[in-house]
Amino acid sequence: MKGLLKNNFYAVRSSAKVFSAFMFLLGVFVIVVVSQQLLLFYMLLGMIGFSMNAVASMGKEYISKWGKYKLTTPVKRADIVKSYFINQLIWLAVGIIFAVIGMGLSWLLHGCPFGQSIDALLMFSAGISISLFAGAIFFPLFYLGGEERTGVFLVISLLCAIGITMAISTFINIALISEMTIWKIILKAAVMLACSLLALALSYPLTVAIFRRKEY
Amino acid sequence: MDNILELHQVCKTFPRTNFTLDHVSFSIPYGSIMGFVGENGAGKTTTIGCVLNTVSKDSGTIKIFGKELADTDTELKEKIGVVYDGDNFPAYWTAEQLSDVMQGLYANWDNDLFKKYLNDFRLLPNQKIKSYSRGMTMKLAVAAALSHHPQLLILDEATSGLDPIMRDDMLDVFLEFVQDENHSILLSSHITSDLEKIADYITFIHNGKLIMAASKNDLVYNFAVMRCKESQFLELDPGDILVYRKRDYQIDVLVSNGNEIQRKYRNAVIDHVSVDEIMLLLVKGERV
Repeated sequence: MKGLLKNNFYAVRSSAKVFSAFMFLLGVFVIVVVSQQLLLFYMLLGMIGFSMNAVASMGKEYISKWGKYKLTTPVKRADIVKSYFINQLIWLAVGIIFAVIGMGLSWLLHGCPFGQSIDALLMFSAGISISLFAGAIFFPLFYLGGEERTGVFLVISLLCAIGITMAISTFINIALISEMTIWKIILKAAVMLACSLLALALSYPLTVAIFRRKEY
Repeated sequence: MDNILELHQVCKTFPRTNFTLDHVSFSIPYGSIMGFVGENGAGKTTTIGCVLNTVSKDSGTIKIFGKELADTDTELKEKIGVVYDGDNFPAYWTAEQLSDVMQGLYANWDNDLFKKYLNDFRLLPNQKIKSYSRGMTMKLAVAAALSHHPQLLILDEATSGLDPIMRDDMLDVFLEFVQDENHSILLSSHITSDLEKIADYITFIHNGKLIMAASKNDLVYNFAVMRCKESQFLELDPGDILVYRKRDYQIDVLVSNGNEIQRKYRNAVIDHVSVDEIMLLLVKGERV
């Protein structure tokens, strides 16, 4: 597993460096300019961008024969899939750190950027959910449809993830009809997180099953 | 004699391309090099894919070290080194990063040995693979395949595209590898001169079927080609003819026992035959 994680790290590293520099510069701008919408965009971009970048790097392995070669090394196919899932979670964590720092500094300098502070939880929950849903959709698609379609599958999974997260949010809003209290916001955030985690958990055995049938 | 690799009646069909690997059987004894020869698309890579489990066979058995290789058999995979034709590793890596990854994959990864190979092959550890020449990428792949102390080396067209000097260097490395009697190599290639230099056994594959398997000594010392006129050809005992090929003014006949044939047909012109010519005759020739 250690080798697989290192392999994934090297695949993501160069694009992550570029994205980190971009996030840093954008973060400075977001902190200087007082704009709630820009801050929300920054937080979502961090959480979704880093993990999508990690997911997209999977296709790079198949430009060379490494994707096939890896199967001949002492690793199981299930472990290869697991390493991709872990990799996405690691980079999602990096994105969360960027989002936390950006929001924290903005809060520190300009006060709470949201209507009520608990809204921050909802933002993190939405960002994490979109990221997890996107991964849950992308991984099986990647093996099912072929490595050469990485780009289009990435777009499809991201759009689906946004759609699903918005649908869950809308559904909860309708179900909880009355005014949103702190506990209802926490419940909404928890439901979104739980649904996306469940989707990711279900996606793993599905991806393994598809990958086991793949021939190279 | 024990075999390090045994294939028995292995079949695989690709319905889309209509290609079938048709009941392929062969074995590689410990301490030997098996040359696996065939034209492009003959089924060499598919066979190797079945051996390495990157392609799932439809039927038949494949035993490596006496066991069927399963996806979960990581211990068995530790003993196998693989080199594919072309880019084995991502171009954005350096040799150092490759070593770093391999160390995490192979329990027996020997970093010192890898460094020694890099030094011997004059490869820079910090140079990106994308700036390597083709020969350098192949050397790196061979270094990586040998640096976890495998017992079985599987090389799929590993010498194709290399210049003769580089190929010779590689062949020396392979010969050194099989000095250990527990080591063996399956070397697929369509460069038959390489196999003539190092292989102990040569197996020919054509259109997914094995058409011949013999020891190299047998091929070199016993196999021969008769150059016949049509009238001479008609007088031949059909049992002596493996395959024949009509040329403009003569018919080339492949025989498996040149000396006996020379005694039997005293007027016949009999030449030694190269592996290249055997392959051509087997592929393009006709059977009686």
